Amino acid sequence: MSMFLRSATPTTLAIVAVSLLAGCGISIPNDPDGTLDRVTGGELRVGVSESAPWTETAGSGAPTGTEVDLVEEFAENLHADVDWTEGGEADLVSALERGELDLVIGGFTDTTPWTSKAAMTQPYAESTNDEGTTAKHVMLAPMGENAFLVRLERFLLEGDGEQK
Amino acid sequence: MTAKPRFGRTELPDRQAEVLKASIRIEWATLVFLVITIALVYLVLGNSQAMKAAWIEDMLSLAPPLAFLIAVRIVNRTPTMRHPYGFHRSIGIAHLVAGVALFTMGAYLIADSASGLIAAEHPPIGSVELFGHVVWLGWLMMGVMALTIPLPIYFGRQKMALAKELHDKVLYADADMNKADWQTAVGSIVGVAGIGVGLWWADSAAAIFIAASIVWDGVKNVRAAITDLMDSRATTFDDGAPHPLGRHIVDELRTLRWVEDAGVRLRDQGHVFHAEAFVVSRWGKVSLTDLESARDRLIDLDWKLQDVVVVPVEELPEEVGGSVHDRQSERNQ
Repeated sequence: MSMFLRSATPTTLAIVAVSLLAGCGISIPNDPDGTLDRVTGGELRVGVSESAPWTETAGSGAPTGTEVDLVEEFAENLHADVDWTEGGEADLVSALERGELDLVIGGFTDTTPWTSKAAMTQPYAESTNDEGTTAKHVMLAPMGENAFLVRLERFLLEGDGEQK
Repeated sequence: MTAKPRFGRTELPDRQAEVLKASIRIEWATLVFLVITIALVYLVLGNSQAMKAAWIEDMLSLAPPLAFLIAVRIVNRTPTMRHPYGFHRSIGIAHLVAGVALFTMGAYLIADSASGLIAAEHPPIGSVELFGHVVWLGWLMMGVMALTIPLPIYFGRQKMALAKELHDKVLYADADMNKADWQTAVGSIVGVAGIGVGLWWADSAAAIFIAASIVWDGVKNVRAAITDLMDSRATTFDDGAPHPLGRHIVDELRTLRWVEDAGVRLRDQGHVFHAEAFVVSRWGKVSLTDLESARDRLIDLDWKLQDVVVVPVEELPEEVGGSVHDRQSERNQ
C-alpha cells in the first residue's frame, strides 16, 4: 500500500478515489443534509416573497406568478407537494439557512446580496427593465445541498425555463 | 543584452551564464503559465470560496517570478560611487518578497479554510452549461485543477537544480512556490471530490492540511532572507548548512608559507559573496605582493568570490576564530 502511495502521483490517487466513490453508488454531487432525497416524493417547502410579475402573494389562497408556476412544475417533476411560506426576504433566507425551507423565490437576480447565506442557481431567465438594464433571474437554494441545486438548475435550464 | 552576462563586476563563467539564461527563460515560462491559469480558473470560479482561494493563490505566485526577473536586471549593474557594494542585494530583497508571498499564501489559506470550518459553511457548487449540456461545475473545477498540476512540478524541479548551480535563493523560493501551487491544486481536487460525495468540510480540511506546509516553507524563506540581509554567515542556496567556501578560504590562506593563522567573515550579497579575510603573519610583517597574491588565489577559488579584502592583523578577531577577549573594541591593544 505504501509503495503504491509513493509511486502514484497525487492526481491518479484523486482520480482513483473519485471513481471508487462513484462506483459505490453515491451519486455526484451529493447533499450533505439529503435535501433532494427528502423532497423527492415528499414535500417541497418554498419561501415566497412578493415581487410581481415573478411572484404575487396579495390575493387570498396560493401565490401566483411565473416563478410560482415554475416551482410547481419542478415539484411535480419530483412528485412532491409544495408547502408555501410567505414572508420578507430576510426572514425567508434565515429560514433557508436554518434548514426550515428548501427553496426561496421572489424575483431574485444574480446581483442578490444573499450569496453568503444561500446558494444561487444559474440564471434561468433574463428581463429588461424600463431603464434598459438587463437582469438575470435566479432562485435561492440551501447552501451546499449540491444534488438538489444541480437538479433544480437542470430543470430550469433544460426544462422549459424560458419566460412565458 | 550585453556580450557577457554579469552580476555587477562579476563576469559569469560560461556554465553559470547558461544557467542564468535558462533561469530567465523558465521564469518567463512560469509567468505565461500563471497568467493562463489565472484566466482559466477565473472562468470556473462560480461562487465557490474554495476556487476563489485557489485563484488568489495563483495571483500570489506571480510575485516570485516577477521579483526574480526584476532583480536579475538590477543585479546586472556595475558598482558606482553611490553604490560601492554593487547591486547584488536586490537578490536578497527579491528573496524576501518571494518568502513573504509564500507565507501570505499559506496563512491566507489557513485563515480562510479555518473560518469556513468553524462557521460550518457548506460550500455550494452548482452546475454549468457546457455545449448544451448541464454538468456539475465540480467536474470542470477538478479538470482545470488537474491541468494545472504537471507544469508546476516540472518548473519546481528545474528551478531547484538551477538555484543550486547559480546560488540563487529567489529561484529556490520560487521552486517552493511551484510546489505549493501543485499541492493546493491536488488539495482542491480532493476537496471538490469530497464536496461531490456530500462531505461539506472536505475542501477546507484538505486546504488546511496543505497550507500548513506552505506556511512552513514561507517562514523558512523569510527567515533565510532576513538573516542574509542581516549579514549572517553565508549559507548554501537552501540555507541548509554554512557555505563550504568559508572553510575553503581559510584552508587556502593557511597553505601560504607566510601565514600563521587565518579567518574570514563571509556574507551573502545575493549570488556573490563579500569576503573579509584576516591573516596573521608568521614574521610580524607582510609584503604587498604577498597580500595581492593571497587575494588573487581567493578570487580564483570560486566565481562567487570577487569582492575580497585581505586584512593583515596581529591577532584574529574573536568572531572569525580568534581567542576570546572581554574587550568590546576592535582596536588593537
